[in-house]
Amino acid sequence: MTDLFDHLVLGFTVVLSFQNLLLCLVGCLVGTLIGVLPGIGPLATIAILMPMTYNSEPIGALIMLAGIYYGSQYGGSTTAILVNMPGESSSVVTALDGHAMARQGKAGKALGIAAIGSFIAGTFATLVIAALAIPLSKLALSFTAGNYFALMVLGLTLAIVVAGGSVLKAFCMLIVGVIMALVGANPVTGEPRLTFGSQILYDGFDVAIVAMGLFGIAEILRNLEAPEGRPFVSDAVGGLLPDRKDMRESAGAITRGSLLGSIIGIIPGNGATLSSFVSYALEKWVARRPQEFGRGAIQGVAGPESANNAAAQTTFIPLLTLGLPSTATMALVGGAMTLHGVIPGPRVIDQHPDLFWGMVTSMWIGNLMLVIINLPLIGIWVKFLKVPYRHLFPMIVLVCCVGIYSVNSQPFDVLQIALFGVIGYVLHKLRFEPAPLLLGLVLGGMLEDSLHRGLILSHGDIWTFVSAPLTLILLTAAAVVLGSALSPSIARRRQLLQEED
Amino acid sequence: MTSEPMDLRSRHTVPCYARIQVIGGAVVVFIAALVWYGAISLNLGTVADFGAGAMPKALAILLFFGGGAVLVQGLVQRPEEAERAEFSPAPVAILVIAIALFGLFIRGGDFTLLSTPQLGLGVVGPLTVFIAGCATPERRVKELLPMSFGLTAAVLLVFCDLLQVTIPIFPGFAQDAIFSSLGVDGAIRALYLAYGGIAAALYVAFFGLRDDRRD
Repeated sequence: MTDLFDHLVLGFTVVLSFQNLLLCLVGCLVGTLIGVLPGIGPLATIAILMPMTYNSEPIGALIMLAGIYYGSQYGGSTTAILVNMPGESSSVVTALDGHAMARQGKAGKALGIAAIGSFIAGTFATLVIAALAIPLSKLALSFTAGNYFALMVLGLTLAIVVAGGSVLKAFCMLIVGVIMALVGANPVTGEPRLTFGSQILYDGFDVAIVAMGLFGIAEILRNLEAPEGRPFVSDAVGGLLPDRKDMRESAGAITRGSLLGSIIGIIPGNGATLSSFVSYALEKWVARRPQEFGRGAIQGVAGPESANNAAAQTTFIPLLTLGLPSTATMALVGGAMTLHGVIPGPRVIDQHPDLFWGMVTSMWIGNLMLVIINLPLIGIWVKFLKVPYRHLFPMIVLVCCVGIYSVNSQPFDVLQIALFGVIGYVLHKLRFEPAPLLLGLVLGGMLEDSLHRGLILSHGDIWTFVSAPLTLILLTAAAVVLGSALSPSIARRRQLLQEED
Repeated sequence: MTSEPMDLRSRHTVPCYARIQVIGGAVVVFIAALVWYGAISLNLGTVADFGAGAMPKALAILLFFGGGAVLVQGLVQRPEEAERAEFSPAPVAILVIAIALFGLFIRGGDFTLLSTPQLGLGVVGPLTVFIAGCATPERRVKELLPMSFGLTAAVLLVFCDLLQVTIPIFPGFAQDAIFSSLGVDGAIRALYLAYGGIAAALYVAFFGLRDDRRD
């Protein structure tokens, strides 16, 4: 227990420098700024803004990145409440009661309780991360290559099951992603693989570029198609601070949401979305007047918002302790860490304790900043929501181009984001969810490597490889998850859940 | 761009080749074939020590069956369930041109098919914004012109002056002359001040001074 506090103190000494606080603040601000834009979720926001972090020190960059992540999450909720256009799936349920509250002139209260709930949940989740990080990374260090392989298979299976749309199509996208990870120089021999003789492919695919194209540019192309039916944004936000009655009503919801979110977030898959749905269902179930849900019940905002924020934070756990990103967003964060020379995984805590604990505490600081800066700035976000899309998207295009060019100074990178933008658009049109592709791209190399090492260790005996107890359990779990997702009754329920997307 | 409701649309039967599932499945099968073709020369190795070709080939087979299943789903689905794949090529093409222009001319270089001169952010920035802005059917040239200069000025200020990002700003042929007369920082500041001024002037010229400005 004292260890825990020592670590947190170490983290705070890192974060509480002027420069890092400033980076955290800037991250939260620009994250919210882009996240507020309807139709742009955290994934696209991070993809667009990631190059901005490349100029600072690793610690500062990661703190800023974490700030962008929370900012974009919070921005998505703001949009969901104010205009009923959830920027991402995790705030879909927030829109139900949040927007209903906004229509009653209580938008301020909804935003206030979302911020307060998120902050409380974030505080709790930070403690969960701090408490679990060391035991989990110790455990991870004892994993064999086979265990790792099985763990990745389970994670990827969960990821395709919770991805939107057909499981089969998500599976195809995942495989394409893994194949893309293999393109380029063979890590062992250096011989070119699947490059078709091209020098550009020899360097492999860059996660940042692929993500910016598939999510940033493709998002714009999708939005350009929809006629600009921008819903009315009310000016009357109302009082911001929830009163005592509101707090009493939502206290239970926030507590349950924090617990639920923290747990679900650790499980691979889209924790933030899943936990917000589960929390909403739970609140409706325990509520004394369930008929109020959908008509502006404050618990319907407080619960899911706390849950998705807690989950958004504990999704860092698999990445930071096992080195396995469980969502596409985390894959991107992992990519950014690697770019700064920090390989996510069990060794981060030992090798870069300042960085690790700095990042964990910055999560808490970031949440605090969001409460402090966002409540007064809501007026600005409301104004920003009124800027027509035709003014916004050229700006996003220019920022993407400048951003991605500034990373490597390679003109070809810019051409690639255009290409992946088109690919992302076509995938969307053909109802392929691109998120598993990104996960596959990030994990593909590790997947091959751990399979290879595992098979060497078992002398090529597949049975020895598979029958290690933990490997067997994880692979069985993966098979069960996949099997149940393909079973008709659950498939139907998945569809119901996603129809609201 | 058709926005008819789903039930209305699905009443028309969709021919096989236009179905989402069919096209999607076919594309995936094609990718699988391409990967297999690329992996032919790679060696498989043994189970105990598999070679560079093992994963690509195994994955190509998996992908082939995955894509094949999507394709078959599309072929056998009832006509009223099938959905037509619809694309709107115009905005896509315009946006691609805008981004490609940025990529091709920002620093210039040899792109095997063509080699390009460096034009720098000062020239490419406004062009990218202007062309990208044309991708929406709601484009308004009078708004786009001041926006092109204003946004470029903002990007120059934030990225080049404040964040010190290295990116070519002036055309290659004029760069040295400009830097030697104004200094690097001076030249950047002069440029964004000038562009900001142009944006403001254009805005006033087109819209007058009446309502609130937003830039």
